[in-house]
Amino acid sequence: MKSILKLIRRFFLILILSIVLILFLNLILFFLMFYHQSSSRSPWKAAEMVAGSLLQAEDGTYELQDEGKTVLEQSGAWAILVDADGSVKWSSSNLPSEIPLHYTLAELSWAIRGYIEDYPTTVGEYGDDLLIMGHPKTAYWKAMWNTFDYDMIANLPQTVVIFLLFNLVIVFLIYLFAVSGVLRSVKPIIRGIEALPEGPEVYVKEKGLLSSLAVSLNRTAEKLRMQEYDLKKKETARANWIAGVSHDIRTPLSMVMGYASQLEDNKSLAESERKKAGVIRFQSMRIKNLINDLNLSSKLEYNAQPIQRTEQNAVSLLRKVVVDFLNVDPDNKYSLVWTTDESLTSCLIQADANLLQRAVSNLIVNAQVHNPDGCTISAKVCKEGDMCRITISDDGKGVSDEQLATLRTSSGRSPSKLGEQQHGLGLLIVGQIAAAHDGRIEMDHSPVGGFQVSIILPLSEKRPPSESK
Amino acid sequence: MNVPYLKNKRILLVDDESALLDMTAGILEAEGYRQIKKAKTAKEALAACREWRPEFVVLDVMLPDGDGFSLLEQLRAFSDVPVLFLTARGEEEDRFRGLGLGADDYIVKPFLPKELILRIGAILRRCYKNEQPLVQLAACQIDFEKAEVIKNEKSIPLTAKEFELLQALYRNAGKIVTIDMLCEAVWGENPFGYENSLMAHIRRIREKIEENPSKPVSLITVKGLGYKLLVEG
Repeated sequence: MKSILKLIRRFFLILILSIVLILFLNLILFFLMFYHQSSSRSPWKAAEMVAGSLLQAEDGTYELQDEGKTVLEQSGAWAILVDADGSVKWSSSNLPSEIPLHYTLAELSWAIRGYIEDYPTTVGEYGDDLLIMGHPKTAYWKAMWNTFDYDMIANLPQTVVIFLLFNLVIVFLIYLFAVSGVLRSVKPIIRGIEALPEGPEVYVKEKGLLSSLAVSLNRTAEKLRMQEYDLKKKETARANWIAGVSHDIRTPLSMVMGYASQLEDNKSLAESERKKAGVIRFQSMRIKNLINDLNLSSKLEYNAQPIQRTEQNAVSLLRKVVVDFLNVDPDNKYSLVWTTDESLTSCLIQADANLLQRAVSNLIVNAQVHNPDGCTISAKVCKEGDMCRITISDDGKGVSDEQLATLRTSSGRSPSKLGEQQHGLGLLIVGQIAAAHDGRIEMDHSPVGGFQVSIILPLSEKRPPSESK
Repeated sequence: MNVPYLKNKRILLVDDESALLDMTAGILEAEGYRQIKKAKTAKEALAACREWRPEFVVLDVMLPDGDGFSLLEQLRAFSDVPVLFLTARGEEEDRFRGLGLGADDYIVKPFLPKELILRIGAILRRCYKNEQPLVQLAACQIDFEKAEVIKNEKSIPLTAKEFELLQALYRNAGKIVTIDMLCEAVWGENPFGYENSLMAHIRRIREKIEENPSKPVSLITVKGLGYKLLVEG
């Protein structure tokens, strides 16, 4: 709506400017015309010229010189010379017959001010006498009552200003009236367009001045709706497809994992065979984690998994993940150590417990997968200012500086754009989960020579209950 | 690690995949469970539940003639038998639905045999604890019925908190129970700052159940994480 006000203001300014401009132009034209009028031979001047070229001979008769004759001929006029008694002493040869040859004072005054028998007149002095020139009936129009109040002439500047202002107000009112009509039909459309980016649930009534615009706006909204729907359908289809495939892999994989695990524990088999079974079991677990990651990643990317954050104690949460690992497989070649400071008993964060556990599990599995010969993995929580840092580090073979750099640059990307990155998914999901919790991950060489990843999350605003309960 | 009387429990396995049924049965048999029955359809499973009266059911969600959820609902109409879902459906909502219907646990395939054994053992111990009140430890026996420890033919009473702690540990015998879970078991929700009290209680329990409390063999500390109760089997 702001833009509409701006539009109105701009158009109103343009309107006012154009009015002022037109006024000026008209004034200039008017003066030009006036000037032209006054510069062309005026009828009054003509009368004077005729008077000037009328000569009285010795014998008392009058003779019109050629000059005067030309003037009369050119304007098709006639002329008479009236003396103080009101008698016509001389008249031009083309004098119409209806023109009287004697005038009373009143008639004379009327003749000077206006017309003689509808012939517009002008006068010129001729000694004590008066020369009246009669022009053709349609040559001039005489302003006979050209009298103005003195006040009006004295106040002319103010009057003009008031006049202009009055005009402006009228123009403004007309404009407002016109604009309000347009506005009424434009407003819903503007509203519709403004609402379009918020979501395509837009419908504008298709009537009035701009109904065709409304129609195309509605069609646009409909199109957007369709596209959004299609996109969602595609995304859901993709997520469902991934979910379906991972579901179907689970049962056969159970058997691979189960039997491999049984063979591994079978004391009657040779050590080397049990080892091979162990490898099968371990690799099946990798596949299992991969399936889980793929599933979760697709859900996170398509926002199919709503994040439910509640207040969580990061220490308890990490402890649970570590213990789950230890409980499922207590005597494998990876030792898991708890290195959180004993004095840190709670570190509250707002988190989706399931997702965060998945993230930490991924880090532990990651450490195992990349150190097939075994290693020590340590888990630690600490507070850093208003952040909570969960660190999983190992003393395995670690990564080179170049690998570290690649990992760091790729961790921000979404898995669908990952391309050829080979061991990305696990870490990427950790990154995705951290980002979903307004946090981030940090990858580094661990102080004991291996690799380490930290998940850094903001601490919860709420303080934990006092320790002395 | 499981107590022998639990190995006689009738266990019904329900899954549409016979190869998986065979494997699961094999895992349980290897662990010493003697009475195992398999069902491949919901109908079979229901019939077995009515006639054979299993004492534990391992249930798949996807069955050829229905789903495990509705099977559980029908089952619950006439039986309180403990149920564990073992399924390929790993979605949160499936998990919540299963547990909400009254299942005792939910394992998503693929699984490690060990995990299945431990979880079944834990549920059996919890559900049938009254049938065998005496739990054998290295140096003593615990009588959960009377809330006392019998050591060197002397009975030592347990306090309420000690009893609850031992129960929580026994339910997960052989597994680490985190400090947080123990605190929650004894002090309820939001158990912050009870770590020191917990340590004191553990010390007192050890005095009652261990031969040498400073060198515990039954109630093991896992540094920083929690405790583990080892029972004789």
